[in-house]
Amino acid sequence: MFLSVGVRFEANVEALNMVETAGNYTKHRRVPYLVEEDGKLKTVYVPAISGESLAHAYQWSLVKEALGMNLPVCEDCAKGEFFKSMNKAHLKKKIDPIPDDSKKIEATIIKSCVIEDVGGFLYAEKPPVRRSSAFQVSYALPIKSMALFATAEPQLHARHAQMDAKGKKGNVSEQMIYYVETGTALYGFTFNLDLDAIGVSSLGAGPIVPEEEIRARREASLKALFRMLSSAQFGAKLSRFFPVGGITELTVVVTEHPFVVTSPIYDSYIERTKKRLEVIKEAFREEYFFDSTNEVPEEVLRKAIEYLKEKGYV
Amino acid sequence: MDFPEIVNMLRFFIRTGNFGYVDRIGNALTYEPVEMAILEALRAFRSIHESAKTDENYGKYIEKDGKKIYLPRIPSEEEIRTFLNAVRKDMSVAKRVATLALAFPSKGGEE
Repeated sequence: MFLSVGVRFEANVEALNMVETAGNYTKHRRVPYLVEEDGKLKTVYVPAISGESLAHAYQWSLVKEALGMNLPVCEDCAKGEFFKSMNKAHLKKKIDPIPDDSKKIEATIIKSCVIEDVGGFLYAEKPPVRRSSAFQVSYALPIKSMALFATAEPQLHARHAQMDAKGKKGNVSEQMIYYVETGTALYGFTFNLDLDAIGVSSLGAGPIVPEEEIRARREASLKALFRMLSSAQFGAKLSRFFPVGGITELTVVVTEHPFVVTSPIYDSYIERTKKRLEVIKEAFREEYFFDSTNEVPEEVLRKAIEYLKEKGYV
Repeated sequence: MDFPEIVNMLRFFIRTGNFGYVDRIGNALTYEPVEMAILEALRAFRSIHESAKTDENYGKYIEKDGKKIYLPRIPSEEEIRTFLNAVRKDMSVAKRVATLALAFPSKGGEE
């Protein structure tokens, strides 16, 4: 089973993805974007949130869900440090001595950590072992029809420290000003989860953990997505720049084989997704789950999980 | 037209490990990304200038990994204007400037 989610969310004055600090200026991530204006294409630069940022938040949610369900999470991932068994030093925490067989290495990592099972890993030593992530996430980008209204604007802030003349060093000022570039846009992103890849070897060695645990891992993966979206715990600087807004639309599709919702950056993405699903249903005679809302996104996610439970997948 | 002030500014970013601006200018296929990269580079460079330390010879520098990296001068309005006009006419000018910035400085510079 393959789950694909299209999310639209409004975020005003957010600093969810900052890219560099130059002096006292912290910049928001920006990407070039093609928009059509008066029948001509042009490039504009819009605020964006990277897939890496969203993937980190998802994996952090997954840590909490997995631990809550007594599923294994390795020492590094439990701290939110997703090293993913990248070298001998990290892999030795799971198995010592390290075997020469890549299938054994993969099996050990999958058994000992749900995060590396779902989020993939790369052991970059001899023999190198790579596992693709079972989930995929796009950048969050302003939706096409409103991209020209998206902004990235610096906000001025000041910090103040009382200090007497003796305590002063060089040209340090009592008052320091700094700028934080904030973004405002109606963003859209896509999240996919290949439930069939969870708990199963990517090197052709079949299921690595018992069927019951595979179902529990799938459930933890779905709950993590639910929790991440519902709590809006993604991106950075939430402590002072928690975005004003929230999810405006959410579309969920569950199919037997990989199918990705039409990107929510397009206004007609819900209708287009439905039409594409109908064609696939006719051509391949495959069942699917589809739901969409602009009211209570949690309800759509709950229905998708129930559908997968009915199918015996979780 | 080699645009030495722009090249030196880009080279400063390269020395601090920030390849973003030079890559965007060197890889641009149209004018807009070059203009945006120059705008962002100048904004960042201005901020760094303001917070940089000054040595006994009034040279501005920042410290990275215990080493002093001296700041070149802020590119002049005239050079920026000429550069942007040249890029608008011929995109290969942008690639040439980025290539020069990535090269070892021939004289007077530091690496």
